[in-house]
Amino acid sequence: MSTPGEDGLRTEGLTKSYGGVRAVDDASVTFQHGRINALIGPNGSGKTTFFNCVTGMVKPDAGTVTYHGRDITGRGAHKIAHAGIGRSFQLCRVFPRLTAVENLLVAVRPGSVLRALAPARRKADVERAMELLTRVGIEHLADVEARDLSYGQQKLLELAGVLMADPETILLDEPAGGVNPALIERIGTLVRELNAEGRTFLIVEHNMDVVMSLSDHVVVFDRGRPIAEGPPDTVRADPLVLAAYLGG
Amino acid sequence: MRSASEKVVKSVGLIVLVAFVVVFPGIASDPFVLSVGVVIISYAVLATAWNFVGGFTGYISLGHAAYSGLGGYATGLLILRAEVNPWVALLLGGVVVAVLAVPVGIAALRVRGASFVIVSIALVLVLLLVFQSWESVTGGSDGLRVPRPFGPEVLRPEQHQRFFYLHAALLAVMLLCWWAIDRSRFGMGLKGIREDEDKARSLGVPTVRYKLAAFVVSAFFTALGGGLYALWFGFLDPIFQFSILVGSNMVLMSLLGGVRSLFGPLVGAVVVGYATEFFKAQYGDTQMHLVAMGVLLAAVVLFLPDGIIPAVRGLVARLRPKQASIREVTQEELAEEVRR
Amino acid sequence: MSLVFQSLVLGVLMGGLYALLAAGLTLYFGVMRVVMIAHSAFLVLAAYLAWTFTVHTGLDPMLSLLVTVPLFFVLGVAVQRLLVARLRPATLTMMSVLLTFAVALAVEGALGFVFTGTHRRIPLSYSGARLELFGASVALVKLIAFGLAAVTLVGLHVLLKVTRFGQALRATMQHREAARLLGVDTDRVAGFGFGLGLATAAVGGTALALDSTIYPSLHWHWIGPLMAIIVVGGLGSVAGAAIAALLLGVGQNLLQIPLGTTWAQTFFYAALFVTLILRPQGFFGGRLAQRF
Repeated sequence: MSTPGEDGLRTEGLTKSYGGVRAVDDASVTFQHGRINALIGPNGSGKTTFFNCVTGMVKPDAGTVTYHGRDITGRGAHKIAHAGIGRSFQLCRVFPRLTAVENLLVAVRPGSVLRALAPARRKADVERAMELLTRVGIEHLADVEARDLSYGQQKLLELAGVLMADPETILLDEPAGGVNPALIERIGTLVRELNAEGRTFLIVEHNMDVVMSLSDHVVVFDRGRPIAEGPPDTVRADPLVLAAYLGG
Repeated sequence: MRSASEKVVKSVGLIVLVAFVVVFPGIASDPFVLSVGVVIISYAVLATAWNFVGGFTGYISLGHAAYSGLGGYATGLLILRAEVNPWVALLLGGVVVAVLAVPVGIAALRVRGASFVIVSIALVLVLLLVFQSWESVTGGSDGLRVPRPFGPEVLRPEQHQRFFYLHAALLAVMLLCWWAIDRSRFGMGLKGIREDEDKARSLGVPTVRYKLAAFVVSAFFTALGGGLYALWFGFLDPIFQFSILVGSNMVLMSLLGGVRSLFGPLVGAVVVGYATEFFKAQYGDTQMHLVAMGVLLAAVVLFLPDGIIPAVRGLVARLRPKQASIREVTQEELAEEVRR
Repeated sequence: MSLVFQSLVLGVLMGGLYALLAAGLTLYFGVMRVVMIAHSAFLVLAAYLAWTFTVHTGLDPMLSLLVTVPLFFVLGVAVQRLLVARLRPATLTMMSVLLTFAVALAVEGALGFVFTGTHRRIPLSYSGARLELFGASVALVKLIAFGLAAVTLVGLHVLLKVTRFGQALRATMQHREAARLLGVDTDRVAGFGFGLGLATAAVGGTALALDSTIYPSLHWHWIGPLMAIIVVGGLGSVAGAAIAALLLGVGQNLLQIPLGTTWAQTFFYAALFVTLILRPQGFFGGRLAQRF
């Protein structure tokens, strides 16, 4: 429904302060549709707050967020999810006391009040959940409670949960954080596959190897706003970026 | 996990439970024992009603006495002041409280954790003040006499018997609703909220609407429980109706039995209800039952936060030697993952 | 006019006492994010200890503070170490409410068992004495209670601002993780925070006992208004709670003129609900509460 190359997610003058500290400060960024975008920057540069503003987890103080030209600023998080934006969380968040397959079923949209009372384990939904669990490679753990999974498995489960809601745009907060190289490889492959199927990505990541190998476009944040953007190689050579990272 | 043997055990257990509830008034020859039975099943009704919000959403309300008390007063006042048929009054009372629960829920559910509990407590305290002070309508501290729905020809034991079955019927309806929600998409969304509210929101669960719906359903059933109790007991005193103790009893019972289990609040109500009556009979009207309740609640919170039912289930699972534990499976998977 | 002025003066005096009673709640919430329901039960316990002390020794109840303040400090550390610290962090806020609620029940039950439900009042030689204050007639005991509150709160303020321990405590209240990174032993500080909070309950309970009749279930009467104060003030803000206490105390006393005492009580709850609807993080300070 959306063509690659057009503007997907866009922010204009986005600002959010916490107790006098401007976590996101007048940030205007555009992410083209169909790309794997990376968002990098030193610790505390406002990347996660930016994510939270975009996905409706917190209300920005000023500025707008538009998605395919529609204003979605300050909408409830669930409405933004319905608009087709999914996200993962830093440090991975799953529903600990629900089984892996139930973790995915939470994301099923009932559609109407009556259908909300229909059984959650409807065959079609369970099948789709199993498909996604298979896709990330943890289908054999479908009936295990999420808290009993390893950290890596939880990361895969979280990704499958995000996919269950079938979002067009996916925001990942440090997908490579705290997992072993083999798993990083696997997550990278998944992201590329999903991107090839037409899903746009926006990834916050500290692991530069991952950023450089995975992304088409890099945006660098410092002190709550973008200071540079472009293809990975260009950004890497930018003196401004180096200065930001070295604390200049 | 869902083995055939477990299904058999569950079915047999359900049949035994139903059979016991049906024959109990017959075998309890003593009207006192019967009245204790009514008290305990009334506890079970209230605790199960509480669990619609506590169990599904994880929002611990200490103030559900507000809804049982309002249900009782609504029923009584409709009968006395508007001369409504008692059973219609009971139902109407439930509806009125459910409607009142909407604005309360909107205000209370905006805030999480600590603030929510504070609001729930404050609501009971403010209602206590209002119902004590507003004498012209509520009868004030002197209380309100609620006329009995059955004629004078129905004697005491017969009254108890009928109310026992009425409570049992209400409980059955509630359990059925809880079960239906538990396996529904709505229920899955609620459980998501209980586990991690922000995460659920990010997956598209309309958390505000879901929480409010669970809250209103819970208030409705709690009000019915309060109303039914009022019809049986025949007298309402604000200090007992709007008491934090009533609400904390619901929490203790649900927690003790297990908030994630359908029958958890029922099990908890039987244990706590029986223990309370035992304490009263044994130690008379001293304040020791408060100490006992406090110690029990602290013990549950510290050592058995998941409740009896999951604990027993875990014990049974451990006694089955052949099944490998989940932990071992994940260890294996971990090793496999590293190899890949 | 003089009635209004009289109420105003009384309101300020009451507000000062409320500020002391609520100070402990703010401390607990600050260091552990715990709503300590049992705080007011401990107030009543302190009141009973003061009563017992005076009845048995004939000395002034304020001298009982020499015993109760250190005792309550130790008790507070014990409650934190032995009970609250055992809870899982994920469910700490909810479960701590239940746990401290359980403690409140146990304290109330024990008081009822030991002292029976009879209403008690400390016999004081100066209980009837009144003073003229800017034209308002004020009971001496109310002034003493206010004085106790003022001295304690100033002491608390100095402790928090000047001492090393106070700095560690404030750091822990503001950001536990950051404080730990700076080398603060936050577990220890949390224990002391509880001890300090409960020590204020010893003073508060004694001040309360000077001027009111006490009975075991009295704490239910207090818990609501105190909760309202800390929410209006902004959870976790000591200064915010003090301002809210003064305002609500004055408001309550002024409303008593047209409404009577019982309805005036509802003012606290009205303030609580309005705060949660308009500004859930509280009106004075309370940056912490945003997260709850």
